[in-house]
Amino acid sequence: MTTTDRIRAMLVKDYKIDPDRLTSDARLEDLGVDSIGVAELMFNIEDEFRVTLPDEQVRLSTLGDVVNYIDTLVARQESAPEKPTAVAGTVLGTGMGTGMVNTRPAS
Amino acid sequence: MRRVAVTGIGIVSPLGHTAAELFDAARNGRSGVHRLDIAGAERLTAPLAATVQFDSSAFFEPARERLLDRVSQFAVVAAARAFADARCELTDHERGHAGVFLGTGMGGTLTVDDGYQTLYGEHSDRTHPMMILKGMHNAPAAWIGIEHGLRGPNLTYSTACSSSSVAIGEAWLRVAYGTLDVAVAGGAEAPLSLGSLKAWGAMHTLASVDTADPASSCKPFAKNRSGLVLGEGAALVILEPWERATARGATIHGELIGYGLTTDAGHIARPSLDGQAAAMRAALAAACISSQEIDAINAHGTGTQANDSVETAAIKLVFGERAPRIPISATKALHGHLLGAGGALEFVLSLLALKNNVALPTMHLKIPDPECDLDYVPNVARGGAAGRTMLSNSFAFGGTNAVLAVRAVH
Repeated sequence: MTTTDRIRAMLVKDYKIDPDRLTSDARLEDLGVDSIGVAELMFNIEDEFRVTLPDEQVRLSTLGDVVNYIDTLVARQESAPEKPTAVAGTVLGTGMGTGMVNTRPAS
Repeated sequence: MRRVAVTGIGIVSPLGHTAAELFDAARNGRSGVHRLDIAGAERLTAPLAATVQFDSSAFFEPARERLLDRVSQFAVVAAARAFADARCELTDHERGHAGVFLGTGMGGTLTVDDGYQTLYGEHSDRTHPMMILKGMHNAPAAWIGIEHGLRGPNLTYSTACSSSSVAIGEAWLRVAYGTLDVAVAGGAEAPLSLGSLKAWGAMHTLASVDTADPASSCKPFAKNRSGLVLGEGAALVILEPWERATARGATIHGELIGYGLTTDAGHIARPSLDGQAAAMRAALAAACISSQEIDAINAHGTGTQANDSVETAAIKLVFGERAPRIPISATKALHGHLLGAGGALEFVLSLLALKNNVALPTMHLKIPDPECDLDYVPNVARGGAAGRTMLSNSFAFGGTNAVLAVRAVH
């Protein structure tokens, strides 16, 4: 299965989203996954793909953004396995942008 | 001061999901207590609880459902039911000022318990990113505000077993004194994690299992009472000024006429006769009525040795020679102790008792206790006995005593 297939399967199973809506350019917020939902999704993606989200800010607005980010991470961590850092995916408050994921506290 | 009407009731309870179901079960003595079947139940001395039949997926989109602890789910559903019952369509201006007042004793304890199981039980560092947002005590109130766009005060009260009576009372103060026109107030609790049950058990406050009939294990005011049974659920009411309610043709369930709040400042867990009596007197004073006007009482009545004897003595202190003639109901025998939601559920039961003029029974009271020698309406409801005005008592670990005075519309 491709990365897209696996993430689509997660969204269908865990979020009960109609598979027809899961196009690459579908905005996560339009799918009902807002900024805190993205943090939770990324937590589950860490388990599914056995990757560790690094301590960096990324903007993930669409399903395609998530797929590309995970592919990049998997490639990076397969070539040079990173020592697991802090758990990723802390939610950012309003004003930090939809789908932005960070490991630093928001407040 | 303004008169305060209760115009909406929303229930998520072990005795049902509507006011009618709740009242019917309470009047007919149908218990929601049963043997608890959760992972680890075999480690409990007395695996009992009053649980709610609740399918969260029926109420929430999956992406939203995953962000709410069970206690917030209960709170949001009960608040929606209260607003629907009140037929209360708020304008944007009204939402800009409307308030949420919610009591909870243990907040998102299920989430916290899960998180600690991961951390300590499984020795995993995969702490869930929603643990804080699901577990924090003010999450249930916050989600109610978010769901309905209520931008006035959004306050959470955590005074253990009196939390939701405090929440309703504090909302009443604001509506009565004119600083707020609409409030949704009450409590929510989902305390049935293994960690919480073990902690309550360790205090020796939980009832032992009545092996002949587990549903009757909680026996308030009986000589063979052995403790409380934990319950879960939520109860929210809509409070608004009497004039506003009548002007819009609302159905008024009852009038909240007074609120008494005192603190024992004594022992952290042992109830105080003086503190309880002072709270009842404070509620009477706030309502500007004498003790003669109280027709019935919904007791705190937990079924513990200490509470029931002290509460009996406190009622005698306040009501004197009339005390034996006042019907006293302890409905926790049926719905269990909802902790931070208990006061709100019992406030609703008081409203319903008045509305139907029925004194609700104190079930499982077969063996009288000489120390508890008042009229607890044992085992059978009494029609025509609730009268016009009731007190609803809530007393708490920590010593916060809250009493609500409620009056029938008829």
